[in-house]
Amino acid sequence: MNPSLEPRDAWERLPDRQWNAEAARHLLRRAGWTATSADVERATSEGLERTLELLFPAAAPRLPEPPLITELTEDTPAFVQKLSAASGGEKRALLREARERAQIALQDLSVKWLEFAARSENAASAKWVFFLGDVYVIASEKVKNPALIWRHFEILREHAFGPAPALTKAVSRSPAMIRYLDLNESKRGAPNENFARELFELFVLGEGNYTEQDIKEAARAFTGYRTMFGEFRFAARQHDLGTKTIFGHIGNFTGDDVIALAYQQKAVRTFLPHELVKFYLSDTPLPPGFTEPLGDWWAGGGYDLRALALKFFGSRLFFAPEYSGRFIKSPVQFYLGLVQDLDLDVVPIPRRVLVPLRQMGQMLYNPPNVRGWVGGRSWINSATLTARRQMVESLFEPIREEYLNADEQRSLEAARDRGAGKFTVADEGLAEFANNDAADAAGRLMRKFLGSSDAPEYRADLGEFLRPAQSEPVPARLRMLRRAAIALLQSPEYQLC
Amino acid sequence: MAYRDPRDFLPSTRREFIRLSTRGIGLLAFSRFAPSFLVNSTLAATPAPEKDRSILVLVQLAGGNDGLNTIVPFEDANYYRLRPTLGIAKETVLRTGDSLGLHPACEPLHQLFGNGKLAIVQNVGYPNPNRSHFRSTEIWETASRSNEFVSTGWVGRFLDNACSGLPADAPDPVGVHLTDNLPQSFVGVHEHPTFGLVGGSRTHREREENHRLLSALAHTADDAANENATFLKHTLMDTLVTEQKVQSVLGGYRPEANYPANNFGNSLRNIAALIAAGFSTRVYFASLSGFDTHGNQLNQHARLLATLSDGLAAFQRDLEAHKLDGQVVTMTFSEFGRRPNENESRGTDHGTAAPLFIMGSRIKSGMHGTPPSLDLAKNQDLSFTADFRRVYATVLEKWLMCPSQEILAGKFQTLGIL
Repeated sequence: MNPSLEPRDAWERLPDRQWNAEAARHLLRRAGWTATSADVERATSEGLERTLELLFPAAAPRLPEPPLITELTEDTPAFVQKLSAASGGEKRALLREARERAQIALQDLSVKWLEFAARSENAASAKWVFFLGDVYVIASEKVKNPALIWRHFEILREHAFGPAPALTKAVSRSPAMIRYLDLNESKRGAPNENFARELFELFVLGEGNYTEQDIKEAARAFTGYRTMFGEFRFAARQHDLGTKTIFGHIGNFTGDDVIALAYQQKAVRTFLPHELVKFYLSDTPLPPGFTEPLGDWWAGGGYDLRALALKFFGSRLFFAPEYSGRFIKSPVQFYLGLVQDLDLDVVPIPRRVLVPLRQMGQMLYNPPNVRGWVGGRSWINSATLTARRQMVESLFEPIREEYLNADEQRSLEAARDRGAGKFTVADEGLAEFANNDAADAAGRLMRKFLGSSDAPEYRADLGEFLRPAQSEPVPARLRMLRRAAIALLQSPEYQLC
Repeated sequence: MAYRDPRDFLPSTRREFIRLSTRGIGLLAFSRFAPSFLVNSTLAATPAPEKDRSILVLVQLAGGNDGLNTIVPFEDANYYRLRPTLGIAKETVLRTGDSLGLHPACEPLHQLFGNGKLAIVQNVGYPNPNRSHFRSTEIWETASRSNEFVSTGWVGRFLDNACSGLPADAPDPVGVHLTDNLPQSFVGVHEHPTFGLVGGSRTHREREENHRLLSALAHTADDAANENATFLKHTLMDTLVTEQKVQSVLGGYRPEANYPANNFGNSLRNIAALIAAGFSTRVYFASLSGFDTHGNQLNQHARLLATLSDGLAAFQRDLEAHKLDGQVVTMTFSEFGRRPNENESRGTDHGTAAPLFIMGSRIKSGMHGTPPSLDLAKNQDLSFTADFRRVYATVLEKWLMCPSQEILAGKFQTLGIL
């Protein structure tokens, strides 16, 4: 659908008089995972400017490095030595052990990131870094080493709110990227084109804005990029120092030069804004003429990422009514939104969290391919919708701890020691809705989880479902409230934001 | 329970639909959120024949399969010049003729070839090839020219066009995909009842209360401008109707062949289960990924071809044992082949044309088309000799029995594979 605004007005600041609870709810849901009533109240009273400043701070908050990652990095040199000394059989055993260790460390990193991102004060910047990771894609399936994955996302976080060219240059040195797109195989006389192609196609310019020849020449400029024990290393002897012709410019370009040249192309101005729209605003791209003014403005300021975020999320277009309640939540947003809406802690057990996310179609740190996740309606099919429903059910069912593995029990204990022990909703947790009036209870459930009780038919269905139990004793009423809440959170309305 | 159960008033048969229509409850009153099979079936003109309908199984080899190491031209000196370390030694090739043969990991496919159940179309591609995974996959799935952007898929347009209507009370999806996301191939101008089945065991005991309330909630009237909400309701309704049936079919299936214990084998086993249960589904879509072999490809490619080969052969055996093989044709495709000359990383970069497989008991087996010329300079790509749309035209016209010209936006000559 076409926006209700003209392109020249689209990126103007939302007028103050239009800032209200509804606008705040839209901003919080889109920039983060959901909008709890406490957060909506605070944002409404603090105003749009202050809210944006808090959501997108100059420096993105940092998840402390997980100990398993640190140990993995520290142990790598010794492991490599041990491996080269090992015989055939020992070697296989060592490699198997290393694979298992890597898998555990990756799961641990995934769970820790979810715990971090679930905190309301981290939500928007964590999601922003996640967005950058959906542009500068790497996948654990190929990168394998979780220490490199951790480092990649550290690079994205460090540069998340600075100039975009610096981010792109840093990413070209990311050991995970060097491995993911085969830069480590690329050398003088035998350049590997994979990175150069995706740099232009998927990171900065978009398909159709470069020639095959530009790629071949750019690939030569990125020869010699290597990694050593998780750090970037430039192998000068493998680097092609020769003259290259890229975008019509001739010179002895380095990789950084190529990135600088790419940022001189017109297409770079609208590429990231276009990605921003796709990730945060709408499955339908804006009509021609809309991203251009934003891109030109962004280029004028030296491609500053924080400035772009503040402009985008504060714009009239972002708050236009045609974007409200129309966007399909990603699995990660769906899950973290549930955690926040139900006031829960992330269950620190991979198979209770990561496996369901994968079944919903999103495996953390492992997008399906270098384009990242497609998003929008592609999240939804009968299988993923069923997985979403199962996820909701599991959050209302007490964990039967006696059936957990010992390490899982230990993880739960450790979380409880940290004060994070609320993993599921008990029926008593719904007591605030358990009055004698089914219609009223239905309305309050809707306001809490959907932000509004305006849909009469939906409200009537919920009310009629609750009515037979309204004169029953409290436990029976609570049980029906639980069934109603579950269906509400599984319903199409809650999949949208 | 006082609340409405949608099953109380949604028609489940054509006769019921007509009865409701004459009472003034028009189709439009619920078509936005009625299960799509119902909408389609009420619009359909003539029911399709239930028995002996032809079924197509599409197998995507995602990442770009190395055609030259799949069908090996072992008598061509250029092949070994282009592949100094990756070339498959002549004596290990599984011969299909005097000069060509299958990769040694394809023993089961080789047997099918010998038994007349495998056709190979050589050097399939399209003009002005694109080397982007996504763009080229899109070109294959939408059957478009490489300079044209089309949002619908070729299977979707077949379903749009379908010469065949569905029986009014058929509750089965017309397309089933065993991939996380809906393949673009399935996207039509009209929505079609499709079903996604993610691998692995997904036992699911839906509580009756939940099922009924959710059906009611999914059925509430919505804002016509909110297309995603309509889409979600639509999908949910379809899912609720289909899932119980599918789960019971998969759980109760007894395969007559040993499928390899991997996701791909499991996908094919599940497809066989649905076919054996008599689902009226016309097209299935499964995917095997990992073919983007830029480095050290020898072992990885052999493993992938073994997975493909073992899975397909088990599937064919299973269908034969169930006497369903006459109903099914299986076809592979990949977004592109790979560069003829290997790279310095003992891998291959994105290329152009590649062979594809057609399997079934009613196909015309053998080697079809002409092999690519390998008299190529470094980094030069293969020139295709068979347009992929000719393969589609053949499958559409001679297997799905549907005129192909409109679906493929052009007249493509059929091949002798069916």
